Amino acid sequence: MQLLIELLRSTIMAATPVLLAALGGTYTFYSNIFNIAMEGMMLIGAFMAVLGSYLFGSWVIGLLFGLAGGILAALIFIIFAVYLKTDEFVTGIAINMLALGGTTYLLRQIFDVKGAFMSPEIVAIPTWKIPLLHDIPVLGKLISGYPFIVYVALLAALLVQFHVYKTRFGLRIRATGEDARTVDSVGVNSSSVKSISIFYSGILCGLAGVFLSLGYVNLFAENMSNGRGWIALAVIILIQGRPLGILLMSLVFGFFEGLGLTLQGTAIPSQFTQMVPYLATLVALYFYSREKQTGVEVEEVEAV
Amino acid sequence: MVNAKLNRPDIELIKISSLVKIYPPATLAVDQVDLTIKEGEIHSIIGENGAGKSTLMKALYGLIPYNSGKIYLRGKEINFGSPKEAVRAGIGMVHQEFMLIPSYTVLENVILGVEPTGYFGVLNKRKARERVEKLVEEYNLNLNLNARIEDISVAARQKVEILKLLYKDVDILILDEPTAVLTPQEIEELFSRLKRLKAMEKTIIFISHKLDEVLELSDTITVMRKGKKVTTMVNENLTKSELARAMVGREVVFTVKKDEARPGDEVLRINNLTYTDRYKQERLKGINFNIRKGEIVGLAGVEGNGQFELVNCIMGLIDDYQGEILINGVRIDNLSILERRKLMAYLPQDRKDTGSAQDLSLISNSIMTHHRINPGLTGRWEALLDPGASRELTGQIIDKFNVLIPGIDAPISSLSGGNQQKVIVGREFMLNTDFVLLDQPTRGLDVGSIEFIQKEIIRKRDSGVGILLISADLDELFNLSDRLLIIYQGRIVAEVDPAEVDKEEVGEYMLGAKGVAS
Repeated sequence: MQLLIELLRSTIMAATPVLLAALGGTYTFYSNIFNIAMEGMMLIGAFMAVLGSYLFGSWVIGLLFGLAGGILAALIFIIFAVYLKTDEFVTGIAINMLALGGTTYLLRQIFDVKGAFMSPEIVAIPTWKIPLLHDIPVLGKLISGYPFIVYVALLAALLVQFHVYKTRFGLRIRATGEDARTVDSVGVNSSSVKSISIFYSGILCGLAGVFLSLGYVNLFAENMSNGRGWIALAVIILIQGRPLGILLMSLVFGFFEGLGLTLQGTAIPSQFTQMVPYLATLVALYFYSREKQTGVEVEEVEAV
Repeated sequence: MVNAKLNRPDIELIKISSLVKIYPPATLAVDQVDLTIKEGEIHSIIGENGAGKSTLMKALYGLIPYNSGKIYLRGKEINFGSPKEAVRAGIGMVHQEFMLIPSYTVLENVILGVEPTGYFGVLNKRKARERVEKLVEEYNLNLNLNARIEDISVAARQKVEILKLLYKDVDILILDEPTAVLTPQEIEELFSRLKRLKAMEKTIIFISHKLDEVLELSDTITVMRKGKKVTTMVNENLTKSELARAMVGREVVFTVKKDEARPGDEVLRINNLTYTDRYKQERLKGINFNIRKGEIVGLAGVEGNGQFELVNCIMGLIDDYQGEILINGVRIDNLSILERRKLMAYLPQDRKDTGSAQDLSLISNSIMTHHRINPGLTGRWEALLDPGASRELTGQIIDKFNVLIPGIDAPISSLSGGNQQKVIVGREFMLNTDFVLLDQPTRGLDVGSIEFIQKEIIRKRDSGVGILLISADLDELFNLSDRLLIIYQGRIVAEVDPAEVDKEEVGEYMLGAKGVAS
């Protein structure tokens, strides 16, 4: 029982950064921007969060720093990809490399360490004990006491769903993704819509980074985003952007990452256990695309 | 004929004075044009391609800046920086290319950009629906607001474009060649709708180069030629030839003269051609017909009823069809595209992508296909082309087909549409095959080029070549065809003699109202 609860808790913890990044990527998915920079946005966010928290001794400042980091990366993306019209793929790669190289460099310059920076002076994100529920034996353990960003992420999934499908901005963002010229023709500036969508993805990826370095663990390590931005991208493409589906897929990914961590206690070499979530993603992709293909055929036949 | 007198005093709604638009570096597109549009009228602007009618309207609409001149709306000078400002002032334009989001519903497309919202930008679709429904009813538009754009017809999409403008309270509508994409029945419907709009006190500016339409619809007609306004006339007792003379500057033959066809041996035969695409949709269903040497067989049909697939099957771009295609009695089903090209000339409908390579020179474009199958173009080694022979062939095409060019090494994109098409027609006709496949040979060309190309097609026929002519232009099909086939949903539903039927009847076949076994 204890083990199961631990596994479910680690599932939710591991799912959170992927979920946040993928929700950010949802905006760029709908505005038809190939946003592979989520990895970099997250990493910059994670580094800045540790920097802010350590320097000022406050998780609030850490949070703000982290968000600012994500936004900074988003602004670079906007300037190049939207206004200078550089290739989105190349721009994204550049941001990711800049993020990896830049944070590693600054880690050594500012903190004078290699690999990872840990300190008791890094103030972590506070956890939230849900009143009343927290004291219920199993349930309380399961749903209470996470860093508060976990709850923010769950709420964000609902909000993004609502934002994209029920609001004016949502209507415009999806239209922009489908045909930007038409959007321009009705007097809406499609470049602004795209910029805003990248901006939102920057904020959410930054938040994912904050959670990584101040919630999931309490340190900054080189390349600590460790492919989660890519996993988020895979999730978005897999789910075709529906936020609630993304929530589900992130949990699946989180489960396998948690499983991988749990298996580390066993005799299986850690290199293999670390592969588990990524293998699971591949398997999911395989089944999903097979499902989709047969699904399409059935639909077409019915249409005749 | 609509010649209803305006029941209002003639109020000058829009006044354009001495407008000049120069496209850099030095193309005078609109030259000192004065134009007055009166309130509540249907005012047509006609002219050949490149006459400046669309440019003039784009300048009015704020899509492009103009160099000099003034525009007044209700006596006040205006100069819109963007279409958005024009729409706010009550002027809306429906472009030839529709601006609609395919996956969105009619309602969503109508409100995009001017969405009614409640708190936090939440869409208020109910409020939007009420207003849009009222407009649909008021103007008798007959649209399902919940239908997705990708599922509705071109004519319905056009209605959505008009609805979009009505929703924005526009009272001056500019329509840029709206009938180009419609069937005869749909054109009738559009005209009665425009007349209704006029009755509801809207002013309509109608751009066209089709004389019959303009005569049927307009109160006033302005003719433009080469950037200048030729004349503005009230549509009373005007004749088609008067208009045409004003438009082209010379007498025009509308019906290219042709003698009785003298069909010879069979050149093309299609037996039971059936094609199912990869989405398991049956696009062609048991097509049977033949073409003999020395005749033009026209194929009429609303776009998307299998013409595209039929062309691709004949050309070999689709090779997984069932049935037989024979040329001169020999099956070609297993031949490659190149081998088929030795047997047939092909004019693709899309001039810019399939018909030519826009960035390449006139020479390169002239020798395409020839370079693979004409031994005269290669020297001693087959892999090397003979530049001298290439130039010579290009020169022949230019002479024979009257192509106006800036220079033989210029890219083909520097030629006007009509001249580009002449190059492509010339290239294909010079292949000297017994069978020619023409897919929309004159679409989007000016009256002069159309006349020239149609004459060449008839001359080709008279030289004993069998021609399959696919066209969306019923006038063209009636002018040129010796026999007319009508395709509907992948089936040939009728074969008629164009001398014995009228357009309405063909139109009914095209829409499936007639001739389909249920």
